[in-house]
Amino acid sequence: MANHSDAAFEKLPMWAGGRSPFNVSYGKLMMWIFLLSDAFTFSSLLVQYGAQRFSNIESQVTTKWPDPASIFNHFPFIHGFHLPLLFVSVMTFILILSSVTMVLAVEAGHRNSKKEVEKYMLYTIIGGAAFLGCQAWEWSTFIHEGARLWGNTFGITDQGYKHLSEVGFGDHFHWEEGDRTNGPVPFAALFFIVTGFHGFHVFSGVVINVVVYIMTVRGVFERRGHYEMIEKAGLYWHFVDLVWVFVFTFFYLI
Amino acid sequence: MEFYTKPGDYDPINYIPHTESHGTKELWKTFWILLGITLLDFIIYFAMGPSGFRNFIFIFFGIVKAYYIVGAFMHLKYEKINLALIILVPTIFILGLIMGLLYEGNALSMIK
Repeated sequence: MANHSDAAFEKLPMWAGGRSPFNVSYGKLMMWIFLLSDAFTFSSLLVQYGAQRFSNIESQVTTKWPDPASIFNHFPFIHGFHLPLLFVSVMTFILILSSVTMVLAVEAGHRNSKKEVEKYMLYTIIGGAAFLGCQAWEWSTFIHEGARLWGNTFGITDQGYKHLSEVGFGDHFHWEEGDRTNGPVPFAALFFIVTGFHGFHVFSGVVINVVVYIMTVRGVFERRGHYEMIEKAGLYWHFVDLVWVFVFTFFYLI
Repeated sequence: MEFYTKPGDYDPINYIPHTESHGTKELWKTFWILLGITLLDFIIYFAMGPSGFRNFIFIFFGIVKAYYIVGAFMHLKYEKINLALIILVPTIFILGLIMGLLYEGNALSMIK
């Protein structure tokens, strides 16, 4: 079953036909091209975020762009404490972990090990579902705090910044009267649009992984003789992780 | 469906090159690197005050993480250089867009 003649392909002229110039299958090449176009989609959203944020840095008229750490400072089951960055770091950890189980499934596929592919695909699906759960919690907390797609109540006043500067990591923290006013609208809108678009990609990735998992269990790839489909699903899943790296950097760290 | 083993048998739609496992050692190494950089992000966030230099570090770490995800997890390091280039080169336009729009956004903040 193994192909021992890749070297014979290599000897043919590259663009004269009769060989794949990229030495990949049609499906994998098309997945890469799709991911490139998706990279442009996410870039346009993130660049929009950057431009909107920069246009509110030195604003004298409206309130400045809010400091993300002062807003995304919640953690499930521990209410009222100032814990910036902790929850998103946990979410990042979950996504990295599900990425590594995905790549282990791909590696098991190269060895045609059906049992291992099943095991690691299942772990990846669980990781993706856990990430979606975290994001649902993050959204509901943010909305509960007053964020809307069409408005932003996180214009932090001078009093609010003074109040914030007094709290340390893990201290009790609650917004007080006069800490907040209406802020730049794109802050909340772009948060919902970009994390929502990313979350929708994660959701699609989980659906793709479930389909591929069922196909593995039913022995489709075993009969086919190769597990290339796992690689294509894997490429998509890693791309979702890649986008999260930049969402994490621009929305939470900076 | 089967593998095409002779050049004459090449069928662009069904051709699947033979792939071999590189083992799991590098994959776990990449996982620890990604985890380490994320922890470093977390530490630097609290150790340093907000500054342009800190933002530069975060963006640099983001690019390092992207390199490991694309190179090791997405296997691009082991693909033919042609394939890597048609994917990586067009992203130069993204860099141009970022620089242009950040500059314009900053200029807008003067009149806002």
